[in-house]
Amino acid sequence: MTMDRHEPFEELISASLAGDLTPTERDRLDTHLDSCSQCRTTLAAFADQRRIMSGLRHVGPPRDLGARVRTGIERGRFATVPWWRRPAVMFAGVGGSLAAVAGALLAIVLLNGTPSDPEVGQATPEPSATITQPSQTPRPSLPPISTQAPDASPSETAAPPSLAPSPSAEPTAVPEPDVVMAVTGPVEDLAYAVVVDGTIEEEVVPIEETTGDDVDEPMSPSGPPITAELSPDGQWLAFITEIGQRGVNDVWATRIAGAPEPTDPDASPPPDSSIEVGDTVHLGESVAGSPFLERMTWSSDGRYLAYTLADPETDEADADAWMFEPSEGEPRRLTDVGNAYAASWVPGSAGTSLLWLSMAGEEPMSYLVGFHDDASRVDEPFNPADDAIAEAEGVFQPLLSPNGSLAIFWRGRMSAELDRGWIFVEDGAPYLAEHPMDGEPEASFEDERKLFSDLPTAGPLFSSAAITWGLDGDAYAVWDASWTGDGTDDENPYPDATRVYFGHATDSRGLTRQHAIDREDIDPEMAVVDVEVAPTGGHLLVTARERQGGSRDAPRAEVRLVTRNVGDVADEVEIVDIGEDGWVGPAVFRNDTVPEWDPALAP
Amino acid sequence: MAVPGPIPWDLPSVTRQSADGHEIEFARLFEEYSAPIHNYVLRMVGDPDRAADITQDTFIKAYRKLDTVTEATSTRSWLYRIATNTAIDDMRRRRMVTPMGEDAPAFANQPDHRPGPEAQVMAATLDERVQRALLHLRPNHRQCLLLSDLDDMSAQQIGEVMGLSYAAVRTLLCRARGEMRRALSAEGFAR
Repeated sequence: MTMDRHEPFEELISASLAGDLTPTERDRLDTHLDSCSQCRTTLAAFADQRRIMSGLRHVGPPRDLGARVRTGIERGRFATVPWWRRPAVMFAGVGGSLAAVAGALLAIVLLNGTPSDPEVGQATPEPSATITQPSQTPRPSLPPISTQAPDASPSETAAPPSLAPSPSAEPTAVPEPDVVMAVTGPVEDLAYAVVVDGTIEEEVVPIEETTGDDVDEPMSPSGPPITAELSPDGQWLAFITEIGQRGVNDVWATRIAGAPEPTDPDASPPPDSSIEVGDTVHLGESVAGSPFLERMTWSSDGRYLAYTLADPETDEADADAWMFEPSEGEPRRLTDVGNAYAASWVPGSAGTSLLWLSMAGEEPMSYLVGFHDDASRVDEPFNPADDAIAEAEGVFQPLLSPNGSLAIFWRGRMSAELDRGWIFVEDGAPYLAEHPMDGEPEASFEDERKLFSDLPTAGPLFSSAAITWGLDGDAYAVWDASWTGDGTDDENPYPDATRVYFGHATDSRGLTRQHAIDREDIDPEMAVVDVEVAPTGGHLLVTARERQGGSRDAPRAEVRLVTRNVGDVADEVEIVDIGEDGWVGPAVFRNDTVPEWDPALAP
Repeated sequence: MAVPGPIPWDLPSVTRQSADGHEIEFARLFEEYSAPIHNYVLRMVGDPDRAADITQDTFIKAYRKLDTVTEATSTRSWLYRIATNTAIDDMRRRRMVTPMGEDAPAFANQPDHRPGPEAQVMAATLDERVQRALLHLRPNHRQCLLLSDLDDMSAQQIGEVMGLSYAAVRTLLCRARGEMRRALSAEGFAR
């Protein structure tokens, strides 16, 4: 494309109208105008335009503007923000529900505080004693695969587990789980609340500003949040928001707390961030709609956040891993290969942080790469295959359990789709394996078995699903299953995209259709957006949204606390209800109760 | 062209007797800038109700952030920046929940039911036609043009508001004028 020869002079003409020309530019323009009728016409048109614009009628503000501003200042209310900045609505209408949820959580913690007792809803006939308190053996290992042949036919119904709900146990001094709610009004205007002991710990905190001040950066969270991850040190809340119906997401991180006091005098905490509490950093924009993309992972010390962005502007669904390092204050691209996905960090690797990265492809690969915490920052994106200290053939996006000893990952043949990035097209299925932590990084995954034990092993199976671990390192949940295989039917689909499958690694039967939470747990007109497994591993916080179906209504979502029961006992469900037009969720737990992985205790 | 007079800011009774510097400074800002900010926002979004809401939010944010203004900061540019960002947020939000085409004001892009384009153009006031042309511009072009020609800001000041360099503002302004020229032409303005 060549530049119009008049173009440089048009810019000078435009600038001349406001007297923004240097003497040299003025002379140059005058000389040109003497010989160019086209530019003289442009000058006349621009001058007319400026005259017209400056002559526009000035319309005064409404007479009550001052009173409205005063009211807004005193009540903390914005005109374009609907419900949550109205204190009366928030604390009267919502506070009670939140209190109910947190109260229930507390009760649940007490019930499950004794490790030797099976948890409510844990569909495990023989709960493993390896899931214990941190001071005991923190590493779960996989039980022998059940000798009872799983039902390989998805269309048939397996016998239900015979477990009854566990009896109550004596309360123990387990730290109480807190809940951080990412909430929004009818459209956007994010905020979060910290719930402690059934009450909102502090005022609902708006998330509306970026990088220090909204007057510095025009971007702000633009849609409902669909997933969130709290950094292990509790300082940062990373979250992903939708951008309307465009099929694009935004990734953000908000600093919600200052650096905690070090509890271990010998530990070297990550350097503090220059980002102030309350500030939000925009981490990028990505193609939406894939669970493989819509996930983030914090390193165990909160030093790094890894995530994946698939460029929505390209025609090839280019995906690359990115990293946000709070101490640096801004995101950086990790890879430059176009098919790299962030998977998860290996916890507890002092001095060097280890990250699993996956490269999607017909035959996917995963690579373990290290980042020296004390090394100077390297800005250049790299190819994981060139810098790997370990690799795993055929493995995609291994999700390590919080203590690092187990992993759920994918195998199968993948293909790239423009609107979703890479998905599985054949043999796609999640697997569960042990992830040895014995200092031999080349030993990646051992004793693997299918996660869904009653589904076929090959053919057109899953294309994708969302998976999360509970903080206990045993419980996990699978939802948003996208299935391309046979064996599903309209009456009783399995796997069911609308349901959540809740399992435990120590359950020798793996995951089966019996592990789906009750159909009644989530209203049929709602869709699951996000799932968080309670730290104790016995309960789920499910964020479910109303299906819009072309409605012009603002999106709405609620958080449901599901206490899983088995057999004929229906699940218990409590709803965080904020009214008709709001969005609540996703919810995350503070990591107070995470059993920390101690490599010295490894067998 | 007559410009509306300042809107008075009533210091609250609780602070009237001991009005601190923050309150007094905010009162000055409000009285001086509420009218031009509202007018600017109105031209940005083309809807009086939305303009009032955005102006309201702009001053609430300004009140909360007033302590962050330093001597090196142009208060006027700072206020316009808040207003601009608040308006952008509002437009993004509406784009998200409103089916395509319904974000524009009632007089833009509506099919049928009305007189033909020529009759429409002739029937509208000059002000309406210019506003209609403005709403056809990209938001950043609209902002730039309004700040320059409506609020008489220099390229330097526009850069402070929009977070752009001096050179970038000059380029953007030129493109905005070109786009506005075509939009005005479609509204029946000569040249």
